[in-house]
Amino acid sequence: MKKFTLLLVVTCLALLGMSALADMSTVQIATDTATLGRGADSMMTNCRSCHSLKYVRYRDLTSIGIPKPKIDEWRGSESVDNPMLAVLADKDALQSFGIVPPDLSLITKARDGGMNYLYAYLLGYHNTSNGSVDNLIYPGTKMPDALGISSATTAAQLVDIHGKARDVTSFLAWAADPHAKERIRMGYYVLAYLVLLTSLLYLVKRMVWARLSTSDDHLTSWKK
Amino acid sequence: MSGRIINWIDRRFPFTSFIRDELTGYPTPRNLSYWWNFGFLAGFVLVLQVATGIFLAMHYKADVAHAFDSIQHIMRDVNYGWLLRYMHATGASAFFFVIFIHMARTLYYGSYRAPRELLWWTGQGLLLMLMATAFMGYLLPWGQMSFWGATVITNLFRATPVFGEQVVIWLRGDYSVGDATLNRFYALHYLFPFLIIGAVVIHLVALHAVKSSNPSGIDLKAKDNIPFHPYFTSKDLFGLGVFLIFFCVVVFFVPDSLSEPANSIPANPLQTPNHIVPEWYFLPFYAILRSVPNMVGGVVAMGLSVMMFAFMPALDRSSIPGGARYRPIYRVLFYLFVIDMVVLGYVGYQPPAGTIVVIGQLATIGYFAYFVLIFGLSKVEERWLVKRGLPPDVQALINAEALAKSSRA
Repeated sequence: MKKFTLLLVVTCLALLGMSALADMSTVQIATDTATLGRGADSMMTNCRSCHSLKYVRYRDLTSIGIPKPKIDEWRGSESVDNPMLAVLADKDALQSFGIVPPDLSLITKARDGGMNYLYAYLLGYHNTSNGSVDNLIYPGTKMPDALGISSATTAAQLVDIHGKARDVTSFLAWAADPHAKERIRMGYYVLAYLVLLTSLLYLVKRMVWARLSTSDDHLTSWKK
Repeated sequence: MSGRIINWIDRRFPFTSFIRDELTGYPTPRNLSYWWNFGFLAGFVLVLQVATGIFLAMHYKADVAHAFDSIQHIMRDVNYGWLLRYMHATGASAFFFVIFIHMARTLYYGSYRAPRELLWWTGQGLLLMLMATAFMGYLLPWGQMSFWGATVITNLFRATPVFGEQVVIWLRGDYSVGDATLNRFYALHYLFPFLIIGAVVIHLVALHAVKSSNPSGIDLKAKDNIPFHPYFTSKDLFGLGVFLIFFCVVVFFVPDSLSEPANSIPANPLQTPNHIVPEWYFLPFYAILRSVPNMVGGVVAMGLSVMMFAFMPALDRSSIPGGARYRPIYRVLFYLFVIDMVVLGYVGYQPPAGTIVVIGQLATIGYFAYFVLIFGLSKVEERWLVKRGLPPDVQALINAEALAKSSRA
């Protein structure tokens, strides 16, 4: 049965490997207030004219430390309890682009590669030989180069755009999974508790089983 | 006072004797390894699924216009809704993981053999109910993979002779997967766990009639059985602790690792995802379905692949005790079968093209060959082993237990 255990472990590793198939540069997102604030700002200026964030309400932004005046500025006459919808109406988007730009609330979960996909996509714009702009990750995308990487010329601009892409990705990762930080923090406590409990349960098991006499135990001779 | 109350009850209901005979004092072979923990773990996961599911149901809306949104409501606004949902989603995978090991243990040690056939068959029934429940539950988030998975699988019932078309409509409640389908799947997803609990009771009644098998494969004499409590309660609780550590690592740190990205996109009947895949626990059977070029043949092969386990008591004709432990040929077959399952799982995940198709077909043949070979080789192997003589430790055990039937072998 030891071989079976080994097989199980190998299978689990193979499954993990399968989920990491995407061949993209990895992005290290941040969860600090400054990054999320810059990301939210970027989202508001670069994305929200076309994309909604319908599962996030303006009020939710306070939980990542965005100051109230800033939120008031963004929401205009909308209530704080309203979802963050796109400026462009779906009807008009259809007319201009032929599709409704996808809602971004779950975008970092809804693509193979997750956050890495989004990051690589935002930075994937380049000039083609026939003079137009295309995307390496999603060729033929309808979305224009929002961060302007295809027209960047200096190293400083490139650094700035990479930073912006990372900020937006961090913000949208929060939007897709707003309780992630709390979940991971709680996870450490839960695991610490379980490891302690399981160690104690192991000792209890040992103590209880020690009551069995092993002197006449002919079963132990062939026990593995 | 409490003694008088218990006396009053005991004269009317077998309260004390039930606890003594079936719980605390239930005789259990002392040599059970940790592989015998998984039945208890399956029971635990069942309770966990029912408990989290009931609270999820309080916030979920089975309506195509609201289902996806209500899941987001649970994930974002309901207090610890994310925890409930991640536990429930991970719990489904954990259930299959635990059950697959439970079944692998039964196959390895030959625990399905007489007199445990009914125990094994009730387990087979439980597997089918578990599969149905998981399949219906997967539709409820109403994501792209939910919708298209249900569409593909319900479509398979077109293979029904004569009434194919009608059966598909009857299952869906509509011409395509829609609101009617979502509602009935939700109703049945809520019903099935209670049927499963009933079937578990039957499974346990069967278990308590024949008692647990053990790694030696020989029915032990009374002196080698020990009371379930405190020996196996302590052992099972330790096993539960280890299980919960793994479970919580997934729930708290990588809860999305087992979910398909496409299911974070709301169901859209007008847009088929590039690549429709079922959850990991269905992948081997899905690979078998796709490996048969003909649709009806594929459906039959898939159904048969799940049901083959039920034939094991008849296919395995060897009377050598201890399953794979003392049977070298059977042991090799067992490991080849497990590897074959893994290969099928991999094939089921890949788009069916090129060599993948060929590998899938070979693995499908391998899958069924396992059962055929067991039927063919089990008696040959038995004769060979008897001629060669059993290992001395087995022989010693058989002598010690002085079981006339086994000593003949």
